[in-house]
Amino acid sequence: MKTLRQRNIRDNLMVGLLYASTILVLTPLVIIIGYVIVNGISTISIDFFTQELGSPSRAMQGRPTGLVHTILGTLVVDSLALIMAAPLGLGAGIMLSEYPDHKLNPLLRVMNDTLNGMPAILKGLLAFALVVKPMGAFSGLAGGVALAFVMIPIIARATESALMTIPWSIREAGLAIGLPRWRVVLSTVMPAARTGLVTGFLIAFARAAGEAAPLMFTSFGNNYLPNRWSGMIFGPVDTLPQRLYSLAISPYKEWHAMGWAAGVVLLVFVLGLFFAGRMLTRQKFKV
Amino acid sequence: MKAITLLFFTGLMALSFFGCGGGEGSRNGAETRSERSSGRIDVLGAGASFPAPLITAMADEYRGVTDNRVTVNYQSIGSGGGIRQFVEQTIMFGMTEAFLSDEVMQDVEASTGGRAFNMPITLADVVATYNLPGIEKGLVFNAEVLVEIYMGRITRWNDSAIADLNPGKELPSLPITVVHRSDGSGTTNIWTSYFSRVSDEWKDRVGFGTSVSWPVGIGGNGNEGVAGAVMNTPGAIGYNSLSYALLNDMAYGSVINASGNTIEPSFEATTEAANIDLPEDTRILFTNTPAEYGYPIAGFAWMLVYENLDDNNAIRNRRQAEELVRFVIWSITDGQELSESLGYARLPEAAVERNFEMIREIKWEGEMIGKEMLQEVVS
Repeated sequence: MKTLRQRNIRDNLMVGLLYASTILVLTPLVIIIGYVIVNGISTISIDFFTQELGSPSRAMQGRPTGLVHTILGTLVVDSLALIMAAPLGLGAGIMLSEYPDHKLNPLLRVMNDTLNGMPAILKGLLAFALVVKPMGAFSGLAGGVALAFVMIPIIARATESALMTIPWSIREAGLAIGLPRWRVVLSTVMPAARTGLVTGFLIAFARAAGEAAPLMFTSFGNNYLPNRWSGMIFGPVDTLPQRLYSLAISPYKEWHAMGWAAGVVLLVFVLGLFFAGRMLTRQKFKV
Repeated sequence: MKAITLLFFTGLMALSFFGCGGGEGSRNGAETRSERSSGRIDVLGAGASFPAPLITAMADEYRGVTDNRVTVNYQSIGSGGGIRQFVEQTIMFGMTEAFLSDEVMQDVEASTGGRAFNMPITLADVVATYNLPGIEKGLVFNAEVLVEIYMGRITRWNDSAIADLNPGKELPSLPITVVHRSDGSGTTNIWTSYFSRVSDEWKDRVGFGTSVSWPVGIGGNGNEGVAGAVMNTPGAIGYNSLSYALLNDMAYGSVINASGNTIEPSFEATTEAANIDLPEDTRILFTNTPAEYGYPIAGFAWMLVYENLDDNNAIRNRRQAEELVRFVIWSITDGQELSESLGYARLPEAAVERNFEMIREIKWEGEMIGKEMLQEVVS
């Protein structure tokens, strides 16, 4: 027979273990964020957000240099990718969740998982063959296509699991009042699952925002802002993860420091997105 | 309709995109209206990492010279990548430390009906870098010792072959870690071409090229990869361009040249090495140079340009072609002024002359725009 005391001790022990494992999981995250910020924050200045990179001699001679073109380029390329990936990923997710008996579903599931597991560099290669070669130019568009391949399977998976959490009775209620199936999905299931869907978009966006490999031979990189805004889409564009990589492997101390600063910006960008997404879904709940 | 929540988020993303890409986003394709009115041109080049600091500095300078009219975007992706993308016609000019092979030259001629020009832009010097605790720069190597190390037959730093060349130096009994490039690289081409010229065994067993199958050693990606591996491994030896070694405060060695002189790497010694007769297409390797006081492990870095610019898919219109030619002319004349301050050897006069001859041949849809641009500069 266990006494109450024993039970309490056991309970406390288990709760303690839970706390410990939570801290253990969060520690690497905090260390990474802290390390990046400590190393990068001192390089961040107004110039960093308003100047173009140019040549390494700019940084070494202390002339103004920054990553304005890289930050804008990241926004453009990632947004292009999301615009292309969101409808496809959503569609695949809806198909998997709402039409479970469809005979193409097992195939779709396997292909989606394969796409998800495929090395990102291969997606870059595919975008090179699909977009760069025919257009004869490296472009932000090609980078967007490569990142869309990264986003699609994540969005599809997240959409499927988000929709699956909605009880079947809600769908039945819709069907009972005579709504067609697509209307049920659009008007009852998807709004009910919106938190999960938005989270899926965000995870996909954040994953893609950190990818450097697929962009190397698609958006290619640029040391300056393009001369025209259309150059962001149809010309070579700089992106944060790729620039971070090339700054990090450069032989210049000044560029290493800028690489850390680029890391801070990328981190804040991704964390900010998560935060904004959370706020967005929470606000809508109250209405 | 709560589905609007979703659309709202997607729309937000779209908004941020159109906010950036809006306005002129719809205009593209051939020569756009804004391109004509503003006269602004983007020139895209890529290739060898060694001349990247010089070319990007030239780009900065040239942007000022042209009043922000011409932006030259140069990305350092290695000589192998530069040749590859040049042939794929995704860049307007390539840059390489290894001239195009006859095979590639013929391919280009077959596909465009014109030649591919290899134009020397600057000189590349490759130095043996090492990491020996307690020993600064200035170790002396000769051809045999370097080949034996890279063959994997000299495995310790206190080997008598090295000690004989360096009397009075306390060489540690460290094992030698050989580091080489893992990517296709012009630096490798110069380094291995030197080995092939001084050792028949190396020539037969390994040969030379932008990437070879190394008998021993670990690979590093790019000049920076090799530099990183050398600096982090006591007892390592690698090869880097002189400017990278200087920038990183790496220890590097002198080399005994073909005339028997011990040459400390410097850009004077490099220019001296190039002081030889040049063939018309400048496709020549002058490693193990006969020049008496020339540094033996040096070569040109070439800019790759099509003879028929209209056949390069990456060049959309005549204006882009003209600005490219203007930039090439500027970089081999006024642009050379930047060389010394950045640690590069200046192009010898003979190479500039050869470049002018090639530029005169450059065409756009049959018109000799190279000649026009040259006359414009002279007048």
